[in-house]
Amino acid sequence: MALETRPKFVGVLSCSGEEEPEGTIARNAVRLVMEKYRPGITVSLCLPLYLAGDSGEQEFAKRVPVIAVDGCEKACARLSTEKYSGEVSDAIDIRALLRQWGVEDELSRSHPRELEWELAERVAREIVRIIDRYIEEGKVAATNTR
Amino acid sequence: MKGKSRGKVILPCNGLDKEAGTLAREMALKLAEEGAELVCPVLFQRNPARYKKELGTGELLVIDGCKTGCASKLAKDKGLKIAGRLNVTEMLKEMGIRGGKKPVPDPEHLSRLLAALGGPGEEEAEGAEEVPSGLFTAHVEMNEFMEGKFFFKVPKAGYFFNENDCWARVEGTRARLGVSDYVQQSASDMVFFEPPEIGKELEQFDDAGSLESTKTALDIISPVSGKVVAVNGELVDAPELINQDPYISAWAVEVEMADFEGDRELLMDCEAYLAYLKEKVRKENQERFG
Repeated sequence: MALETRPKFVGVLSCSGEEEPEGTIARNAVRLVMEKYRPGITVSLCLPLYLAGDSGEQEFAKRVPVIAVDGCEKACARLSTEKYSGEVSDAIDIRALLRQWGVEDELSRSHPRELEWELAERVAREIVRIIDRYIEEGKVAATNTR
Repeated sequence: MKGKSRGKVILPCNGLDKEAGTLAREMALKLAEEGAELVCPVLFQRNPARYKKELGTGELLVIDGCKTGCASKLAKDKGLKIAGRLNVTEMLKEMGIRGGKKPVPDPEHLSRLLAALGGPGEEEAEGAEEVPSGLFTAHVEMNEFMEGKFFFKVPKAGYFFNENDCWARVEGTRARLGVSDYVQQSASDMVFFEPPEIGKELEQFDDAGSLESTKTALDIISPVSGKVVAVNGELVDAPELINQDPYISAWAVEVEMADFEGDRELLMDCEAYLAYLKEKVRKENQERFG
């Protein structure tokens, strides 16, 4: 039997989401993927810890495919990954997605309502689509999906 | 409750790993509703100047999620004075609560933490003073040329350029530094400007701050030597100014020059840069399109 050498996880690095409502959507979308849609295979990377120079987080990001989920075009998550661990496998810019979806409503940063959660769900499904593609392409070993 | 936390600046850990990190963020958001200013630890790490105004006027409360203390480390690394410090994991422990391993905030935990929240101390954060000179108000006339589908502007006089496409606008012993129209068009939308420290001594061709666009990251290579006496706060807040007005309002730093006559030997005046740029763009187009 061949030894499985492919990564078992997908790393998801969310923007910290302090400045803009899109950041809150990013955090909640990542939580939904971890808790609801693809638990087991999804591991969130802690961006402040990552930036504080934690070698564990940075090394982990080098060994697994990383999806950067950014709230806005500042792309803190993507640019940070690129700086410390190399290219991201995929990147999501929520503000760009909202534009694409025609969302023009004023969003709340601190009190997610039905709309913000609905948007987080939609973003989560985008992340799931990417994770499923990795599994399909054999980029990750899907031995720990639940 | 509005205004209760006015004058406070909150730097939370914002972790998305365990419950403690998400609680730190939730606490920070509550304090923001009461008037406190929030500092995003990630954005602050990447672009400290973004929060210079807030950190220069308010008392800083740091909220760490766990023992790693990322927010405290960040504050220390950046030389901030911490007026108060909280650690969510330790606070929960004192309450006999063990924080969750998942990044899901428990509302009961949050309300107990908020109830226990004490006021920070009295020390004030320090911020460097910006000293813009009041010079550089004269109208700037531009030369323009077109190459392929691109349209470039270069000032007619008063500016000196290096081959890195950075300029120095010189008046007396002062110079303002920035990047050319060519840079902004090549780099596309600017999203970050990180200035150097005020007081930094620059040699000619030293980095005088850094820029990030949606396409690339680059340093501003100083055409002149001297001491940084001011940075452009408007550019810190709105790096896109470079795309809108690269030669005038998008100056990056102001320098008290040390040896302009010496530095000038390695620089191009406006006319020379215009010729240099035309040739450079022509060659690039030739390589790209044949």
